[in-house]
Amino acid sequence: MPRALPAEYRSKVRKPGDFDAFWGDVMRQASTVPLEPEMVPDPLRTSDDIETFQVFYASIDHVRIAAWYCRPAGRAGRAPAIVLLPGYQMDPPIPKEWARKGYAALSVAPRGKLRSNRQFNPGYPNLLTHNMVDRHTYAYRGFYVDTWRGIDFLLSRPEVDPARVGVTGSSQGGGLTITTAAMRPEVRAASAGAPYLCGFVDAIELTHTYPYEEINDYLRLNPERRADVEETLAYFDGISFADRIACPIIVNVGLQDNVCPPETGYALFERIGSKDKHLYPYDGHGHDAGRARHTAVVDAFFARHLQGASEVRR
Amino acid sequence: MTAMHDYWQHALDELSRCPARPEIEPLPLRSTAFATLYGVRLSSLGPYRLFGYLSIPNGAGPFPAIYYAPKYQSVLEIIPQGTANLQRSRYVTFSLAGRGQRNADSPYAAMFPGLFTDGIDDAASYPFRGIVADSIRGLEFLLTRREVDSARVVVAGNDVALITAALGKGATHAVTAPALFYRTAELAPKTQAYPLEEINDYLRLHPARAGAVRRTLANFDLVGLAPRVTAATLVMAGAPGSLLDAAALRPLTAALKGPVTVYESQQSLYKDGLYSERWMAERCAIADVQSILPEHWRE
Repeated sequence: MPRALPAEYRSKVRKPGDFDAFWGDVMRQASTVPLEPEMVPDPLRTSDDIETFQVFYASIDHVRIAAWYCRPAGRAGRAPAIVLLPGYQMDPPIPKEWARKGYAALSVAPRGKLRSNRQFNPGYPNLLTHNMVDRHTYAYRGFYVDTWRGIDFLLSRPEVDPARVGVTGSSQGGGLTITTAAMRPEVRAASAGAPYLCGFVDAIELTHTYPYEEINDYLRLNPERRADVEETLAYFDGISFADRIACPIIVNVGLQDNVCPPETGYALFERIGSKDKHLYPYDGHGHDAGRARHTAVVDAFFARHLQGASEVRR
Repeated sequence: MTAMHDYWQHALDELSRCPARPEIEPLPLRSTAFATLYGVRLSSLGPYRLFGYLSIPNGAGPFPAIYYAPKYQSVLEIIPQGTANLQRSRYVTFSLAGRGQRNADSPYAAMFPGLFTDGIDDAASYPFRGIVADSIRGLEFLLTRREVDSARVVVAGNDVALITAALGKGATHAVTAPALFYRTAELAPKTQAYPLEEINDYLRLHPARAGAVRRTLANFDLVGLAPRVTAATLVMAGAPGSLLDAAALRPLTAALKGPVTVYESQQSLYKDGLYSERWMAERCAIADVQSILPEHWRE
């Protein structure tokens, strides 16, 4: 039987009634932890045109988070800034290419990633299902906050223009882009590729590939916990966050994505609250979500929303 | 005999004196109705204790095998992200963490980026000498399994996979996407992208070590190792015009001793992934590859 069109798919995700209260409480807990940012110059990765730093800051539960920070060398005045969010199992990249485009760029390693795993390290596979039956201790509670605190780091920097902060990422980075844009009004533009962490309960039926397959593994061994799992995941689903997004946003999906089913990308896009939103579906593409063609779209999008502001100001 | 030959012969001799002493433990969480997963610990050169995931299809074997050689990332996957879990119903799969990767990161915890140039000015202690030995040890272990059909053994991965096919015994097929060790010193200055940018970073800070770096890298040069590869090989080249496209890799593909298929990336993980899945299935006599593809790749 031919597969239904992804755009016609109807997600099972239902936003919990106390969603805002839950995350408001998490944000309050996080706000009691001082950021205590630290920037350590990285001479190995610094060149004439790009300065690179290893960055550390504190997040909820006092977990110390690492990041890479690159900025154009010798730039006068405040720069637009970008937060880059990592894929599920990728190692966060050093964001030199964004600095070369004129941005102060922060590439965050949320808890459990290399350099942020001293206090929390469930490993891979495992992160996705770590404490998945309890929203108050689920791995992504802190993981999400770690990425949101990256915005606080950028806002603490004198070289960053606080009115020109964007966020981007693909796969898990795409899902984290959604949650960050939803929870941080300082984000002025967002670009999410192949968003993961969106439509968890849909994805585990639509595809049987890792990392979503971690959830199926867990439920196969622990079928009696399905209700608790589904309850928790609803609080962490990007689709539940999406109506809070108000900034301009673009989303790209691959119609043959074998990791993050395109159906979930469409379901997410439908729920995004921003009026300035555009979906780019790429037929013939998988989890790359058309990256080779879409990079120019992303560059133009951020140039318009983050660098264009500079031209207006001048 | 060349310096490269001596370099690897010493490593292989050292490895042969180090017994693997495998420990194999079932992992019920990742076992399914169609395959059982095991965690495997085994020793490599050093000695150094490694970790891998071994998946055995349920039912009567022997089965073809895919050996996922150590990758250039911290995370060890059971099977590569996006691969249908049903792949494990038809193949024995074995993925190995080389020293420095998660699950094999004690006493040496590698950084990514960072591993590529860690100790690169000393060929004898360069971590990749150990990682190649680890990868060969993994292949040796896989071939001890009675469930494996030794006539259908694919080694898959990046440069380490190809070097494993060159220096190890028993790979009948190889799938390789070179990224690290193909004409590294020559190509690195032509890009600002990682992982080759690690070389640029290193030499910018340590220009006096350029000679030592070249000498180390010479031992890993894929063109020099290619004549030792007798396995049928699929080379996954970059997209046309990219640094590692088919034209750039021609000296490598011409030097491989076994039959060679060169595939140029279409910059689509769907199209590229589908090609390699079909290539492996065809060579391993799996007729119904559709049944073990991800849902969104099926016709």
